[in-house]
Amino acid sequence: MRNGGRARLLLVILIVTSLFLITLDLRGVKVIDGFKQGGQTVMSPFQRAGSAVLSPVKNFFSDVTHLGRTRNQIEKLQAENANLKSKLINRKNADAQLKQLKGILDLAGTAGYKIVNAKVISHGSSQSFSQTIVIDSGSNAGIKKNMTVLSQYGIAGVVKDVYPTSALILLASDPSFRIGARIAGTQQIGILTGRGTRSASLQLLDNSTTVKEGDVLLSRGSIANRPFVPGVPLGYVTSADNSAGAVAQTATIRYYTNFSTLGVVAVVVSGSASNPGDALVPVKPRVTPIPTVTVFVTPSPTPTK
Amino acid sequence: MLTRRLSIATPIFLIIYVIQEAVISQFRLPGGGFSILVIFTLTWAVLSETEVAAVVGFAAGFLMDLSQTAAGPFGQWTLIMLLAGYAISYVGYGDDHVQGNAIGIIFFVVIANLLVEIAYVASGALLGVSSGSLIQILITLFGMSIWALLISPILLPIFSRLHAIIFDSRLSL
Repeated sequence: MRNGGRARLLLVILIVTSLFLITLDLRGVKVIDGFKQGGQTVMSPFQRAGSAVLSPVKNFFSDVTHLGRTRNQIEKLQAENANLKSKLINRKNADAQLKQLKGILDLAGTAGYKIVNAKVISHGSSQSFSQTIVIDSGSNAGIKKNMTVLSQYGIAGVVKDVYPTSALILLASDPSFRIGARIAGTQQIGILTGRGTRSASLQLLDNSTTVKEGDVLLSRGSIANRPFVPGVPLGYVTSADNSAGAVAQTATIRYYTNFSTLGVVAVVVSGSASNPGDALVPVKPRVTPIPTVTVFVTPSPTPTK
Repeated sequence: MLTRRLSIATPIFLIIYVIQEAVISQFRLPGGGFSILVIFTLTWAVLSETEVAAVVGFAAGFLMDLSQTAAGPFGQWTLIMLLAGYAISYVGYGDDHVQGNAIGIIFFVVIANLLVEIAYVASGALLGVSSGSLIQILITLFGMSIWALLISPILLPIFSRLHAIIFDSRLSL
């Protein structure tokens, strides 16, 4: 009985402590931020190490099979083969990251953004129903809270928290993500909201013109370019609800960025002096015509056997 | 005695936390994945007395709140894991039908894992945290439960052995 009473007292104390922590955090007390910052500073080297060690394993998972051979030569050859495969996969990984980086530099170069490139070192757990990633650059590299994050195709997210050597990025697919968007060409404006997947919903602010499938969306930009710089490609319209009775037009958008394959991203530390307008609208792929081969056949006067 | 045991258990929890943050988080698993820390804490709680379960739940929740990927306010996971730890121990500890067989513990852990996530979504809604559309939440909850069901039987022997070593208990599944 005494034990039960002690357990209940302990439970009450711990519940009060938890509620105390929640209240402190909601009131914005700095001590709580310090806890998180300290925790992230400690965890960051582990995440880096995990990312470096698991980088080939992540891709290798389905490929590697262990054969129970005993002969030395076979084992040696297998080890060599695995090593070469691993090198090849690492190379492929590096090539893929290089391609992503090139895309980002092209995008940032066209718009005149000043960027800081970073590698993704951790994908946030969905356990918290949020879509986040951690990158390996932080305040030491000039990254600050509420800066735009780009992928090679366009928007990736926004910097949510910054630590000295890492930063937490809220992906554009997160349900709490909101961004002011405008349609390239018509300049109609609206608000884009994440849905937890690669698709997002757009709510236009006026009904004067209609939105149609294939329309490209760009970011509107914020005051002093934070959190969002203008002109970043967001996605394209996949379906539009233009029903007559609706108060505001809504549309479903597909992001250009594939959030599950992010390896390299760039944080825009300073926007361009002038608005890039529609300069970053992705070019539609052109179909290369296949030449038709024409064969002329002249019948011979005598039939062949 | 309790303090000594908890001090021995602390490094184990920290190691599990590091594994979760540095290894499991590297993989974007389909269906929301799983949290090894949640599964470990719930397993630990069902094998422990209510007092110990409440403390380990509190500690695990605190660590989860420290994670930079925690979306809610600091203390939300602490509160949920504390209550989950206490509740699962209150119901399961001392019940031979649960503790005596591995299936009972796995069943408890999977159900508790699902309830913990539902509690997180519900309390998050009260605290103003967006969790996505209902369909998305349901898919994630289902995915996480499947993962917990797959992972728990693999980890249970390790976790129960660790628990048995620290608490000098004879129960090791």
